[in-house]
Amino acid sequence: MFKLNFKIALRNLWKYKTYTFINIAGLAIGMASCILIFIFIRYELSFDDQFVKKDRIYRVVSNWTEISGTDASQGVPVPLAKAMRNDFPQLEKVAAIQSAHGIISTTKHAGRPMIKEAIGVFYAEPDFFGIFNYTWLAGNPDQVLNEPNTVVLCEEKATQYFGDWRKAVGQTLRFQHETELRVTGVFKDQGENNSLNLPMVISYANYPGRKEDSWSHVASSSECYVLLKDGLHIDELQGVLAAFNTKYHAKNTLTIREYNTFQPLKEIHYDSRYGNFAGKTMERKQIYGLSVIGIFLLLTACINFINLATAQAVNRSKEVGIRKVMGSGRKQLVLQFLGETLTISTAALLIACVLTEMALPYMQNLFSENISFSMLEHPVIFVFLVGLVFLVSALAGFYPALIMSGFSPALAIKNKVSSAAGGGMGLRRILVVFQFTITVVLIICTLMILKQMNYIRQKPLGFNPNAVALVNIPADSLNRLKQHNFKDRLLTIPGVKEVSFCDTPPSSGMVAENRFSVNGIPVKDFQVRVMHGDRSYFETFGLKMIAGQILPKSDTANAWVVNQTFLKKMNIASPELALGKLLKVGDQNFRIVGVMKDFNDKSLHEEISPLAISSGQVEYYNVAVKMDQAKMVESMKAVEHLWNSTFPDEVYDAMFVNDDLNHYYQTEIVMETLFKNFSMIIIFISFIGLFGLISFVASQRTREVAIRKVLGATNLELVRLLNGSFLLMVFLANLLAWPIAYLFINRWLAGYAYRINVSIWPFAIAMVVSMGITLITVSFRSFKAAKTNPIDALKYE
Amino acid sequence: MIQLQNIEKYYANKGVKSYILRHVSTTIQQGEFVSIMGPSGAGKSTLLNILGMLEEPTYGTYEFMGENVVSLNERKRIELYRNHIGFVFQAYHLIDEMTVAENIEAPLLYKKVGSAERKSRVAEMLDRFNMVAKRDLFPNQLSGGQQQLVGIARALAAQPLIILADEPTGNLQSAQALQIMELFRKLNEEENITIIQVTHSEINAGYGNRILHLLDGVISEDLQVVV
Repeated sequence: MFKLNFKIALRNLWKYKTYTFINIAGLAIGMASCILIFIFIRYELSFDDQFVKKDRIYRVVSNWTEISGTDASQGVPVPLAKAMRNDFPQLEKVAAIQSAHGIISTTKHAGRPMIKEAIGVFYAEPDFFGIFNYTWLAGNPDQVLNEPNTVVLCEEKATQYFGDWRKAVGQTLRFQHETELRVTGVFKDQGENNSLNLPMVISYANYPGRKEDSWSHVASSSECYVLLKDGLHIDELQGVLAAFNTKYHAKNTLTIREYNTFQPLKEIHYDSRYGNFAGKTMERKQIYGLSVIGIFLLLTACINFINLATAQAVNRSKEVGIRKVMGSGRKQLVLQFLGETLTISTAALLIACVLTEMALPYMQNLFSENISFSMLEHPVIFVFLVGLVFLVSALAGFYPALIMSGFSPALAIKNKVSSAAGGGMGLRRILVVFQFTITVVLIICTLMILKQMNYIRQKPLGFNPNAVALVNIPADSLNRLKQHNFKDRLLTIPGVKEVSFCDTPPSSGMVAENRFSVNGIPVKDFQVRVMHGDRSYFETFGLKMIAGQILPKSDTANAWVVNQTFLKKMNIASPELALGKLLKVGDQNFRIVGVMKDFNDKSLHEEISPLAISSGQVEYYNVAVKMDQAKMVESMKAVEHLWNSTFPDEVYDAMFVNDDLNHYYQTEIVMETLFKNFSMIIIFISFIGLFGLISFVASQRTREVAIRKVLGATNLELVRLLNGSFLLMVFLANLLAWPIAYLFINRWLAGYAYRINVSIWPFAIAMVVSMGITLITVSFRSFKAAKTNPIDALKYE
Repeated sequence: MIQLQNIEKYYANKGVKSYILRHVSTTIQQGEFVSIMGPSGAGKSTLLNILGMLEEPTYGTYEFMGENVVSLNERKRIELYRNHIGFVFQAYHLIDEMTVAENIEAPLLYKKVGSAERKSRVAEMLDRFNMVAKRDLFPNQLSGGQQQLVGIARALAAQPLIILADEPTGNLQSAQALQIMELFRKLNEEENITIIQVTHSEINAGYGNRILHLLDGVISEDLQVVV
């Protein structure tokens, strides 16, 4: 029975090739999108899942509540780890881990070149590997970092440095040109789905800042992990934690409060407020958003299927009737039709898998993640695929099967089943309207996202980041002496226009906000953001002054330049009034000598901060080099060459300020690409569905068209007759889509301090586009129907 | 075998009842070959549909093999289709996507006949109707007469007690029609299969042994054919 039905299914598919193609193409594309979204979500949800004690591991994080809002950091004060160990008997293990940068070099081995590189390293307390169970290739995890001057490496690094990880243990590496580190262990490379990406871990005893005892300084590079004792619940620690916060954050006032909390390991990847060492977070909101898009895509494809299948049902009515009088039960018919749907969706799945493979590299590129579509590695993908086929078959096949199996045999045999019995045009209309509502919402959202992104790209920031490179410079006492000479020599390179020492470019995510006082009176309402740069900073980045002067030339005579927002927040009416006031931030107490025009110092998600720039007397780690756009490539080469000859022991690193600014909008760029592609896919699916439906309607109404033609209707009148209801449906879908899209886009735009106004245009464009494509799709087929010679349609009657 | 008591069928349209069948009562015995005749619109096909349980009468009782089958539940009706009733249609109604052999095999599948027996019965049918060479052809590759032979073979494959035929020769040329009627007579006489056919043709009716004349939904004559 099954074999025969299967054969019949195939023959039927072959007979109605166009419908089959539309069905399979629509389903395959919808499924491929779903698979891509699924493997991406599976990857995102797999973060930090490999640790045995994951349910008991927590990270201690810092939080602030201030008048202006709240703030959060992944870091904790350095003395916190020790205090936790003392005050929390409920914790089995506590381990501080410190992120740092440094230069690692290998000693010369026989026949192997010396390796020198600047990399991110970590200092960790010995208990760290008792909390996180890494897989050890060599070394005993309980002992590896117990002694000072020890280091453990991941397999990749060990192989890179020593040729073979088996040879690594017992060898030494030189750190920062001075410390000899003995390799005591090698652990297996962690996957990329890891919030702690550790290439190399050095004994905490080597961390220079380990003796720091200030509780007021929090750096995001100092993290602390704890392991809860088995059988305890984290809520049982709340009392102790409250006492702990009162005890150590003594400076807390009613309005400004700092406190530590426990963050579960499994939340780290999904909470972008705190961030993590691997720098990868994915908000749950986005994961849900993607799933919703996936579901919509699948629904659209299923709606195509339902529409075409019920429309086509009439063609199958005779078969249903005959089967019924031969003794087929309704259940058997339902199963037969479901089987056919299953055949189609299986075929679609195979094509979808191919499409997925083809799209995967683009996706990996878009998310810069190594997302896997290997069913052997992740059997859950296979389970998903099987589930997907059955879900699609059920969603798409069940209703048509129910309709078709319900035909009365007496009517079916006489071919008296009207198209209305196939679920009625009414239901198909509702489904089409639903489908196009989704489509139009996506079109509108895509247009708005494109517009906002365009706005962000083109909005003047108030400074000029073009052709400026930020080059690192070593700032240890010896190299600092070379800095000024280096700057002078940089200026002699052809194409270099301006050079400035600074700590960050004018806009950056590395924000240091501080409490301050003016003329000796502390200001409690807000904090000021402080940047450091020398006199050339203003010229390099094209910052405009509105009052006073730029910073004085000398390093010793220090001064502040503040921005307009600072004046506004301080309620200083005119810029001139601010000049000469004494601004004290930390221990830097200078006069304000100038007021500059506001520029965007953070991403456009955020407002401009009150800001003060001084040349300070700080160590500069960066030099900004403004170049002639036309000569950038040569100039950069010359800069690198000069750098390497000036600082032969160090490792050169440079980036363009523009690239850095683009990092702000990584999420948006991803979102833009996703929306662009998915709306294209959904448009494609919807319109091939529409084409299928109009084909069916045209063939159903062949006789009517012929009769009208004989009665004297023109081709145009007939086309209008056939098109009318479709245009109406798409119009209705537009009306439904507008408020939904408006709500969504308004919420999305609310996340930007600087945003476009919601105008009528994207809505109007979406309408024109959707109605236009509908008109073309539908007319293409209906014109063909109208042109047919009426004799052909009528002679069979 | 079949007992109809006061069968009525009407459609109510805006309070006006338009009758198709009125007070139809008759009994058909096992082994009879009955032809239902009458002008267009007399209710012949409706009567046959009621006999075949494809339609329900508005009033009246219908007993099939001693069992009241008016508003029979679907499962029982399907059981009757599988085991006792074979249909033959004017437009043949073969399943276009199935070959000749598959069409004949289909009812056996529903009857859950074992694979070996299915094969032998299909082979027997093909042999009997001289269509062995055509077993793998599709219906649209056959002439009308041949298609109707397949239709009859399909009806017979399940070894029914009764065949209901709605103008089985209506679409055929007279030579082919005669062939079909001969076949019906043979089946009736040799295998004692009850046959009820609707026909317009006096000649076809002559092959049976009883004629029911319908006029405006009423049995106007019930004739025994004397050979």
